[in-house]
Amino acid sequence: MTDNLVELRDLHVRFHGQRNVYAVNGIDLDLKAGETLGILGESGSGKSVTLKTLLRLLPENRTQISGDVRVAGQDVNALQGRALANHRGGVASMIFQDPMLALDPVYTIGEQIAEAVMRHEGASRAQGRARALDMLTRVRIPSPERRLNAYPHEMSGGMRQRAMIALALACRPKLLLADEPTTALDATVQIQILILLRELQAEFGMGMIFVTHDIGVAVEVSDRIAVMYAGQVVETGSVRDIIANPQHPYTRGLLAANLHGAVKGERLQAIPGAPPALETAPNNCSFAPRCLVKQESCEIALPPNVSLSPQRAVRCVHAAPVAAQTSPS
Amino acid sequence: MTIESAALLQVNDLTKHFPLSGGFFGRSAGVVRAVDSISFEVAPGETLGIVGESGCGKSTTARLLVNLIEPDSGQVILEGKRVGADMSVRDMRRHMQMVFQDSYASLNPRLTMEDSIAFGPNVNGMARQKALALAHDLLFRVGLEPRRFAGRYPHELSGGQRQRVNIARALAFSPKIVILDEAVSALDKSVEAQVLNLLADLKKELALTYIFISHDLNVVRHMSDRVMVMYLGQVAEIGPVDSLYSSPAHPYTRALLAAMPSMDPDKRTMEAPLAGDPPNPINPPPGCRFHTRCKFAQELCATEQPVLHILPQAHHLAACHAHIPNSGHSGLEGRA
Repeated sequence: MTDNLVELRDLHVRFHGQRNVYAVNGIDLDLKAGETLGILGESGSGKSVTLKTLLRLLPENRTQISGDVRVAGQDVNALQGRALANHRGGVASMIFQDPMLALDPVYTIGEQIAEAVMRHEGASRAQGRARALDMLTRVRIPSPERRLNAYPHEMSGGMRQRAMIALALACRPKLLLADEPTTALDATVQIQILILLRELQAEFGMGMIFVTHDIGVAVEVSDRIAVMYAGQVVETGSVRDIIANPQHPYTRGLLAANLHGAVKGERLQAIPGAPPALETAPNNCSFAPRCLVKQESCEIALPPNVSLSPQRAVRCVHAAPVAAQTSPS
Repeated sequence: MTIESAALLQVNDLTKHFPLSGGFFGRSAGVVRAVDSISFEVAPGETLGIVGESGCGKSTTARLLVNLIEPDSGQVILEGKRVGADMSVRDMRRHMQMVFQDSYASLNPRLTMEDSIAFGPNVNGMARQKALALAHDLLFRVGLEPRRFAGRYPHELSGGQRQRVNIARALAFSPKIVILDEAVSALDKSVEAQVLNLLADLKKELALTYIFISHDLNVVRHMSDRVMVMYLGQVAEIGPVDSLYSSPAHPYTRALLAAMPSMDPDKRTMEAPLAGDPPNPINPPPGCRFHTRCKFAQELCATEQPVLHILPQAHHLAACHAHIPNSGHSGLEGRA
């Protein structure tokens, strides 16, 4: 028995239908209780798909999942019926980019939170309402008593996001999955939500996986970062290591493209080309066509996953100690 | 009549209010003050960045400039000629082109890339063969091999490639000014950098002037010579990029900058600079529009509207009572 809250072992996700998409191609990830992991990647990198496997939210008839998915010791792929319903919202909970789609438009915020508490904990309606009020207070919604009776459309964007967080955390899940929850928000509201999530995570002691395409956002909330590209984790490490000493050429490119501290008038070190379409399973390094330091071997076989320290791994042939000396740009 | 000015583009008191229907017996239920009496200039060859949160009027401003929305009042003066009076809207649009955020929605799905680019010059009198040759030349310029891309349809291209086509199309009239309205915001970071490099190259080669609208302060800082910060339809602060980023004066500009993620795990943002969401531009607060969220607000701010004023210690303008000498505001220091 390990103390990991989440364990992903050799996870593969393939969508079939008119077009085959190899969305996730062999992922190993761990999350300890109370830890925050940021998954960083661009659109199509498989970061949201990975997150959704943890709640079994992918359409079953079009998805082929292989590998081990464990949350709090439970095999998520084996969950059925009642057990699956208890898992969703009880053990692990998810917040989304667009709260308008995640909240039910015909029920008030108070009713929605109360319903979740009644369903999961067998509480009475009054207890559910009391929990709803408590949650709205904890997510710092002003005048929460009044907001209990508000419908989602009556709230502003930032407030809806807070209401969705309150709903997700109402049953005290051990794991919070956040899928780009601040991407649609204005900058001054985004930072409020990030700080709130950080505080709630510490308060409830839950584990959190935070998916984002924005490095700055990942740095604000995460303890560790996993960088994804073409359905694989190409680099993992502590936030400090990833920012100060990125090893994978893709991570370096991303950091350079972030414009933080870029000198005005100077050309940006852009990564050439575009991400692959993933219509076949990768049998070599997916990043090789865009990589400035690729070797012959990169196009022949999958790159090794080089472990640099217990917390740090890089999926690149260059990840030997030699590469550590080249300074990150 | 021409107006003497060194500016390529001069904007005077531009205003647009959208009335809201749905009031009692069809009467107006209120007014969205999307853009409220803003004035600025753009010098030839410079890039003016416009930043602000949703609802601040930055996109409406762009659309007013090229007359996609008709302004209620105010003047747009291009090269000394007043648009609508000394220069027709049609002529103005030859000199001022726009690139939008949604690269897919901006292209006709039934036209190939070469046809999309050649369409404008063609209907403006250029022979079809010549227009197609121009289209190929422009595709090459934006980094898309004409032989591979000219015959493709929008759905056959990636987002970054489509946005390159949109840029090529905007350049088909050899415009003087290109307005980029969140043109890179929908792109992935690695592709965004490519397009930003392309824009910088094109600017140099073709001596273009940009109006660069974005919510991303890092991108705006990289691209712009001068920056204009908007809040609820008005200009809060405007000036050279270095001065504005190094010594922001308006409390809103300061909050925007402080709200940027830190990129340093040891210096995380511990306190949000502002509480709550940006207010609705419907019936905005009187006086300084920011006073409802400003921690330095005093009585004066709720009643009197501040005007843009040159800052004593910096080289730019801000509309804040605290920075106007003898305004009655005690200033930003020693409080809060």
